[in-house]
Amino acid sequence: MSEYRKPLPQIQPFTEAFWEGTRNNKLLVQTCNDCDARIFFPRRQCPECWSKDLDWIEASGKAEIYAFSVTYEGVESVFREDLPIVLAWVDLPEGIRMQTNIIDCDPDRVEIGQQVEVVFKPVTDDITLPYFRPVA
Amino acid sequence: MSLAIIGIAEVPTKRDPERTRWDMLSDVCMGAIRDAGIDKDDIEAVISVNPMAQAQMALDMALGRVPEVLGLKGCKDICVLNSGGTSTTNCLRLAKYFIDNGQAKFVLIPHTTVQSDIPTEDLINFFATAPLDPQWEYPYGVTFNGAMGLITNRYMHDTGATAEQMASVTVTLRGWGALDPNSIFYGKPVTLEDVLESRMISTPLHAKECNFLADGAGAMVVTSHEIAQELGRPAAYELGHGVRFTGATPVLREDPYFIKAYRESSQDALTEADLSIDDMDLRQIYGAYPFTQCSALEGYGVCEFGEAAAIWAEGRCGPGGDLPCTSMGDATGRGHTGSGVSMAFYLDTVRQLRGEAGERQVSDCNHALITTSGGSVMNACTTIFGSAPR
Ligand SMILES: [Zn+2]
Repeated sequence: MSEYRKPLPQIQPFTEAFWEGTRNNKLLVQTCNDCDARIFFPRRQCPECWSKDLDWIEASGKAEIYAFSVTYEGVESVFREDLPIVLAWVDLPEGIRMQTNIIDCDPDRVEIGQQVEVVFKPVTDDITLPYFRPVA
Repeated sequence: MSLAIIGIAEVPTKRDPERTRWDMLSDVCMGAIRDAGIDKDDIEAVISVNPMAQAQMALDMALGRVPEVLGLKGCKDICVLNSGGTSTTNCLRLAKYFIDNGQAKFVLIPHTTVQSDIPTEDLINFFATAPLDPQWEYPYGVTFNGAMGLITNRYMHDTGATAEQMASVTVTLRGWGALDPNSIFYGKPVTLEDVLESRMISTPLHAKECNFLADGAGAMVVTSHEIAQELGRPAAYELGHGVRFTGATPVLREDPYFIKAYRESSQDALTEADLSIDDMDLRQIYGAYPFTQCSALEGYGVCEFGEAAAIWAEGRCGPGGDLPCTSMGDATGRGHTGSGVSMAFYLDTVRQLRGEAGERQVSDCNHALITTSGGSVMNACTTIFGSAPR
């Protein structure tokens, strides 16, 4: 794998399971065993009830675009090769909204409400980033 | 509890690395103290606005260099406060506490920022990493413009606001800036076509709808209502204040346009002032991106959700309009001086209330509402100022 120069997620002990999940092509959502909260981003404790009894469920990988923005310039030089970058906020049926990129798409045809699905892209040996692409 | 701003000074917003941070800081501190009509040794506390991305200047301020360099022999205490764009607001709050408990009669609040000597790459990195999450946002190439593009895109979807209406906000802000000698865009108005034909940065935001990073400095001297009245010079009297937190991370906010924060903070401030939103002669909105100029009006209750972009497009919020808003120009119409944008907002509000705003003067400006925000609008801090105490 060629050297990846873009910023990597700064992983915390309590988010290791999420990144282990993406390495195994699984998108995990943190859940609270005490109050059933669906938690994003993953925390040390449940932000609703402060329980430390937290768990993970595997998401279906489906999502809907809540908002997007196509970036054409103004990024750090390491991101320049990726321009245009389609930034998106996607709603998962599991009850969370996350930041991602929409890939494998025509940036001019991305729409709010569009159905998308997760794609896992290994960027280093340790890190696989979850992206989304339009459902065919 | 009472607070009045009795002295102000500012240097024009520019990109000019020849003007050092300390050059500008000295000028505005001396200027504000002279404008207040007091002696330098009357200043009993210096509460500085944290300069963003300038570690040495922040340390100079935090460790007491300002009163020492200026020879403020009566200074009893110093502090530097940081909450991004709302740092100036926090300086005012702490000053009010010092004044109220008798610790200081006069407090100096300075700001200085130079961004023109910081490499562009470092500034992009700073504005992308400071308010955005290093694990869940930054690896996706999110910039400040990108994050605000996402929100603007959804705002236009939810309200039906058109690209022309949104661009009219920038035309109006630049209209104020074109008349303001302290704006980097003094004498440089833009048309709707200029905005819409400028480069696309992060859809739907064109280059002219994004922030232009610049250098600037400003300072205020504040005291109590009673002392301000005794001094007998025009002043801006704080009449009410309210604040709401919205959340640190844009994607996690339930209220992406901050409507609730604008509504509740303004209601608290207006209730304390015993005034209504209709009593305001000027609304100063620091949101740094054009959609906030719309959602703030909707939050204040000036109009219903979805109506504000049309009001901006009608020109009602600009110079000579019947609903003047943001005569300061906001960051897009004046230049973004880091944490100095909020300083410049208060200074411009004081000018308007003292009738010193020149060509931009809002007629009969006796009550102004000002909202500042920090981070990526993590909060809305709304204050009512009047030209007289209650
Ligand atoms: Zn819980």
